[in-house]
Amino acid sequence: MNRFATLLRKELRELMTLQMILPFVFVVMIFFFIGNIAGNETRKAAAPQWIAVLDQDRSPLSAELTGLLATQNFRIRSFHDQTLTKTLRQAKDEKIATVIVIPRGLDREIAAARQVPIPVYSIISNFSLLGSLGSQAAKGAVSTINDYLSDRLLAQKAARAPASNPASLKNPVTAKNYVLIGSRSAAITPDLVSGFITSQTAFLPIVMFIIIVIASQMIAVSIASEKENKTLETLLSTPISRVSLVTAKMVAAGIVSLLIAVFYMFGFQSYMNGVTGGFNSTAAHNPQLAAAIAQLGLTLDLPAYLLLGASLFLSILIALAISLILGAFAENVKSAQGLIAPITFLIMIPYFLTMFIDLNTAAPLLRFIVYAIPFSHPFLAGPFLFLHNYPAVVYGLVYQAVFFIILVIVAARIFASDRVLTMKLNFKKGRFQIRQD
Amino acid sequence: MEQALVVEDLRKSYGKHEALKGISFEVRPGEIFALIGPNGAGKTTTLRMIATILTPSSGSSKVYGLDTVDDGEKVRQIISYLPEEAGAYKNMTGNAYLRFMAELFTPDRHTRDEYVAAAAAITGLGDRLNDRIGTYSKGMTRKLLLARAVMTHPKLAILDEPTSGLDVVNALEIRQAIKDLAKEGMAVLVSSHNMLEIEYLSDRVAIIDRGVIHRTGTPAELKAAYQAANLEEVFVEVVR
Repeated sequence: MNRFATLLRKELRELMTLQMILPFVFVVMIFFFIGNIAGNETRKAAAPQWIAVLDQDRSPLSAELTGLLATQNFRIRSFHDQTLTKTLRQAKDEKIATVIVIPRGLDREIAAARQVPIPVYSIISNFSLLGSLGSQAAKGAVSTINDYLSDRLLAQKAARAPASNPASLKNPVTAKNYVLIGSRSAAITPDLVSGFITSQTAFLPIVMFIIIVIASQMIAVSIASEKENKTLETLLSTPISRVSLVTAKMVAAGIVSLLIAVFYMFGFQSYMNGVTGGFNSTAAHNPQLAAAIAQLGLTLDLPAYLLLGASLFLSILIALAISLILGAFAENVKSAQGLIAPITFLIMIPYFLTMFIDLNTAAPLLRFIVYAIPFSHPFLAGPFLFLHNYPAVVYGLVYQAVFFIILVIVAARIFASDRVLTMKLNFKKGRFQIRQD
Repeated sequence: MEQALVVEDLRKSYGKHEALKGISFEVRPGEIFALIGPNGAGKTTTLRMIATILTPSSGSSKVYGLDTVDDGEKVRQIISYLPEEAGAYKNMTGNAYLRFMAELFTPDRHTRDEYVAAAAAITGLGDRLNDRIGTYSKGMTRKLLLARAVMTHPKLAILDEPTSGLDVVNALEIRQAIKDLAKEGMAVLVSSHNMLEIEYLSDRVAIIDRGVIHRTGTPAELKAAYQAANLEEVFVEVVR
């Protein structure tokens, strides 16, 4: 059997222990569980809401309004000829969160074009996000009533001035939105487009973060534990080349972290589906958006996906090479984990910066920092590709490749020399030391 | 006859500290050669350089004519090294560990099985080889590692404190196993600070202290030269 395959098998076996896999399975199960619960709650919130209506007016108009609400995604529990206190108690008993009171004299007041306050009671029983969706029903109900009444009033006025309709009286102008990208344009609102782009690239930071953090941890810990358990020396004296030894560790860490990333994505997706299931607004559900996206050319073709993949792949290789170097200097598993922490920050910085800042208008120093961090480039590549800015992506790839080659040369030098066995990084008395023994 | 190992003016410095100040010795095929000296004398540094893990600052060491720096990978094919306090992968079973290590030396399945069988016999662990190494005692692990080190019939075995941590019976068995293998032609370079063990085990001895070899000879020659009852007394005389 090929020595490299032997080594790789051993590395995989060492990494895929029950202690290591169980926490991930557990996290995915929790995601799944929360997603399911959130999904149920979302569906509940999106379903027609119960509203109690206490009709004190008992007029044709009040009956009309109650009937109107019943047609507008509300389920009505109607009360009349009883006190407010009793109505509120009954509503509470029946777990109805909203009580609307149609006051006596509403019909008369409206006819006289006077503003009428309508008492609305929201019975709050919890403060969770989805719980509050129920009490938003009250707002919706009042605006439905308002719309209806103002239409009616305007219609009465319009009857005296023909050729106008209530809609144009209420909104004399409306916006017709266009989005321009490069030389292409489409009739769509910008928030829908940016929402679509975000939804297409949102998975990238999550996957990258998971793969890089886990892979770095694994490789650094794997080398440090070989040192700590005194197995590295034996391994170094066998006829395997240093390159095989290093590559087997990198490949094994890459494979396992990829598997974990898939696991996480599956869990995360079921979580997101649960949370957003009720309010889906992606292109698949919106033909107008789908048409605009196609018109704007905001679709990634195969070469674009390959470029994005290459950028991601180079980031992972860079992270593995850095971790390999840091792991070689770690005295034990614990210090290896500590040494890896900076990599996490290096990924977080570009993630947050590219999310909140427009790099085109950012200060030169900030821009330089973001471009200098090799992990920035996959985050930048997605938007660049949507905007068909291929040269920017290629420059990023070249930079990453050069960065990686330099790291590999450094790593190879360390493993070919004594340093892997004799050098240890120590944090003593706040001083950064390199110790040899 | 070609020497199994030739060490010439070997030096090693760590920064400003000179751990090894130019040592020279030779080991013949089938010979058990011992480096004895206190902790920090330079024994482990010497063994690591011959095992190609450390690079000498100057001087050379050649295993059957192959330079440990220039021909590192070829040297590693014909040697085996047992580090002091070495460990094994705790999640593997004894058998899996032996198989893994054997596969690093031979691509041939048949030869691999032969190596594993030979090692299993040396360990004397029987069915315990099917258990995880994490459940082994220190002595059991050491026997497993020693068996691993000699199972590939290396031309030169480099053993750093081979019996450290073993009880009397286990240590005796290991020493006998080393002697038997040497009789078959395997050269052995062994280090120890247990002088009595070395006196029983080795054909020739080098006394090393503070990076310098002070005397080399058979245990009998050394004892006669210093009119000492055993090697411990010789050692005290030499380094005084």
